[in-house]
Amino acid sequence: MSLGVLLVEDDRELRDTLREALQVEGYRVAAAASLADARALLAHAPADAGIDLVLLDLGLPDGEGATLLAELRRQSATAVLVISARMDEGPKVQLLDAGADDYLIKPFSLAELLARMRVALRHRGRTAQPAILRYRLAGVYIDLAARRVQRDGQDVHLTPTEYRLLARLVRQAGSVVTHRQLLVDVWGAEFSHHTHYLRLYMAQLRAKLETDPADPQLLITEPGVGYRLTESEP
Amino acid sequence: MLALDEHMDLANLALLLVLGAAVAAIGSSRTVALLACAASVVGFNYAFVPPRGTLTVGLHQHAVLLLAMLAVSGIVTLLMGRLRWHAARAAEHARRSDRLRQMGEALRQIDDPAEQVIALRDALQAELPARARRDTETYAALLRDPQGNERWIGHTSADDADGLRLCVERGQAMGPGSGRYEQRTAWYLPLRGRQSTHGAVLLPGALEPAGAEALLPQLQALCDLLGGVLERQLALEAARAAREQAADHALRNTLLTAIAHDHRTPLATILSAASALHDQVGRLSVEQQQRLAATIVDEAGQLARLTDNTLQLARLGSPGIALQTDWVAVEDLVGPVLARARRRDPQHRIHARLDPGLPLLRVDAVLMVQLLDNLVDNARKHGGRDVPAELLAQRAGDAILLVVQDRGPGVVAAMQPRLFERFLRADTASQEATSRSGAGLGLALCRAIAQAHGGDIGWRPRRSGGSRFEVRLPLHQLPDGSRAERGDAP
Repeated sequence: MSLGVLLVEDDRELRDTLREALQVEGYRVAAAASLADARALLAHAPADAGIDLVLLDLGLPDGEGATLLAELRRQSATAVLVISARMDEGPKVQLLDAGADDYLIKPFSLAELLARMRVALRHRGRTAQPAILRYRLAGVYIDLAARRVQRDGQDVHLTPTEYRLLARLVRQAGSVVTHRQLLVDVWGAEFSHHTHYLRLYMAQLRAKLETDPADPQLLITEPGVGYRLTESEP
Repeated sequence: MLALDEHMDLANLALLLVLGAAVAAIGSSRTVALLACAASVVGFNYAFVPPRGTLTVGLHQHAVLLLAMLAVSGIVTLLMGRLRWHAARAAEHARRSDRLRQMGEALRQIDDPAEQVIALRDALQAELPARARRDTETYAALLRDPQGNERWIGHTSADDADGLRLCVERGQAMGPGSGRYEQRTAWYLPLRGRQSTHGAVLLPGALEPAGAEALLPQLQALCDLLGGVLERQLALEAARAAREQAADHALRNTLLTAIAHDHRTPLATILSAASALHDQVGRLSVEQQQRLAATIVDEAGQLARLTDNTLQLARLGSPGIALQTDWVAVEDLVGPVLARARRRDPQHRIHARLDPGLPLLRVDAVLMVQLLDNLVDNARKHGGRDVPAELLAQRAGDAILLVVQDRGPGVVAAMQPRLFERFLRADTASQEATSRSGAGLGLALCRAIAQAHGGDIGWRPRRSGGSRFEVRLPLHQLPDGSRAERGDAP
């Protein structure tokens, strides 16, 4: 049973190209050119072939994609990937904080899109597994259930805050987590602007887990937005 | 005179009296002098003309003498008065022209029309006699530029505002002594230039018609002085705007040329690869097809980067741009740069060496990554492929240095002084000094970003060949308490 994708994009060329590419990858694709189209498609999607993921362009002819995101979030847990041509980080961060799963800046490659879709669907969609508890990549092994972190078979000692920060990223491995989300979840709401805490702890985590902290393979910086833990090896 | 009485006859004594009258006329006003000379003639008659001690005149010739004395004294007094009036007028003229000159100098010292209008107020006030002055609270001015934009200084009632507008339109003074709206207790004075009227002032004050009429030309002269200054300022401004527009136009053109040229190169590659795939699809091997497709992907990525640069440069050039600064670790800048370089060209090797214990930077992370990305990509294109480029981060006093260096051929001498200028590419397009996809806007953007952060960027040759680009960024104090709260840090 294939997964349903709603593609909301007003540029016809990009819409057609993406639709074909996604169909080749085995997705069921419904395409909308406006907010109104998208609402109609969402409302009339048959129960047995629903929408698992929405690819949402931000600037649409009849309004902002952000309004559709708000509506979706009120009703369902459908995964939402924002695609945007905008350079500004501000709106992107707001959308992530408002519940979007991830974002892509135009232009992007198909490989990037498919990778982000896969992660978003794993976290939200029909293939949703229980929350991710185990993580493995490049010699690093993390087991949240056992509170264990290993590197090359050796236990790594983390302070409680370092561990909470890492665990927060593991639970959403592959997706970007905004600075604000990390600060609020690890330190508390009153620390949501203390980005420097995050920088210092991230540096400590990288020193303990990365082979070359200057060229991290696990703890990836998304400039101006947040951090992303590279997807786990299967 | 009484002492001389015995030695002189009456006619001589009378002459002395005339002399006295003339002397009196020098020091006193005309009326006083005329009264004094009449009184002295009467007194002379009483004291000296026989029969003495009475006002009766004994002889006819004495009567003639007295009348002649009265006439001569009167004429002398009147002449003296006239002379004094002329002298006073000349002095007043000199004072007025002196005040005009001072005003002219004062206006030259001030640039802001609002302040010039205040200076004019003080000068106008000084011209008014004390009895004509009124409270300066209601002083106001209207400045109008050739486009009809109005600028008001001071507060006016709707009535006064209409008066000022009328005054500007007609270019004529209104108020006491002007023949227009005589009954007002204020003057509306136009600020006239040679070509048009540039505004008007409302000067509170009232004077009887004759005095006002005499005063008005001087008030108007002061106002016209400001009118002339305003006209000159407008002319200078128009000339400067025209020059700036021309320069702006030229810059825009070179910039557009540079952008178009930068975009053409990857576009040409994409078009040829895509058209080959499209037209020759049956005759190409799978490997050839894949290679062409990979070229398109690469060049499209390059094009995207160029577009980002152009957009960012335009954004940084717009006034009032606010950077999204936050605390950032150097690793958070270098990591994404290395990842991007790898994604662009997996064969491209870069060595990153960050000094341990570098402090956090307060920067716009997106912009700084873009800056470093441009430098690293520059090194990839121009820095030679044999020795990997290096990305260094070092502490240098109260600044941090971010360095990108390579072992390439360096920069040709002709390009060095203008390396970071926006239109480098357009000017050197004909030379082969810049290979394909030359510096373009990339380095100009690097400098704009560094400077927006209060830092700078420089280039210098390396001793044994190659280029070293050095970005210097100021360090900032971390907020208090950040260390203390790292309670569980190792």
